[in-house]
Amino acid sequence: MFLARIEGTAVSVVKHPSLEGCRLLVAQRIEADGSAPSEPIAVIDWLGAGLGSTVLVSTDGDIARARLGNNTPARMVVAGIVDQVQQSESGRRE
Amino acid sequence: MRMGIVRGHVTLNLAVPSFHGRRLVVIEPVTMENLRAGNGKGGGKALVAIDQLGAAEGQMVAFTEGREASNPFWPDAVPVDAYCSLIVDSIDIHR
Repeated sequence: MFLARIEGTAVSVVKHPSLEGCRLLVAQRIEADGSAPSEPIAVIDWLGAGLGSTVLVSTDGDIARARLGNNTPARMVVAGIVDQVQQSESGRRE
Repeated sequence: MRMGIVRGHVTLNLAVPSFHGRRLVVIEPVTMENLRAGNGKGGGKALVAIDQLGAAEGQMVAFTEGREASNPFWPDAVPVDAYCSLIVDSIDIHR
């Protein structure tokens, strides 16, 4: 699991049938030092994360399999919406 | 899922039986910078993924990597580690 910031939304018409009706968000992973890797990720969201919010992303497909069926390719899902992150002074980012 | 742009196809001559009849696409992952700019450029390291959606060259797709990439073929065991999950129609990035 890792933290990510929601950067936008994505719309898809042609997709794997199991992903029908899923909310799809574009997110960017956040590192401990505040930097972000160059590539964005697409995550599935059932919690209603808003733009700019920090979320906890799980890369385990079992949550998605339980909800969308055994055939789903979904992997990265929003497992929680973050209220606060506490870090030591040396690793603080905000 | 990561996102990328389809740049081409791969045709296999000899292949494991579970790959027979499958469509393989070359995907160039897109960086956040290029996604924001919407310039159609990728910027990441290219990879090959299985595609069952019929993604065309230049289209943006989101692809699953890892064990979950073979889930669509469940209960068959297929040696796939990248799978085109969806074709992206539009992206709205918060600026």
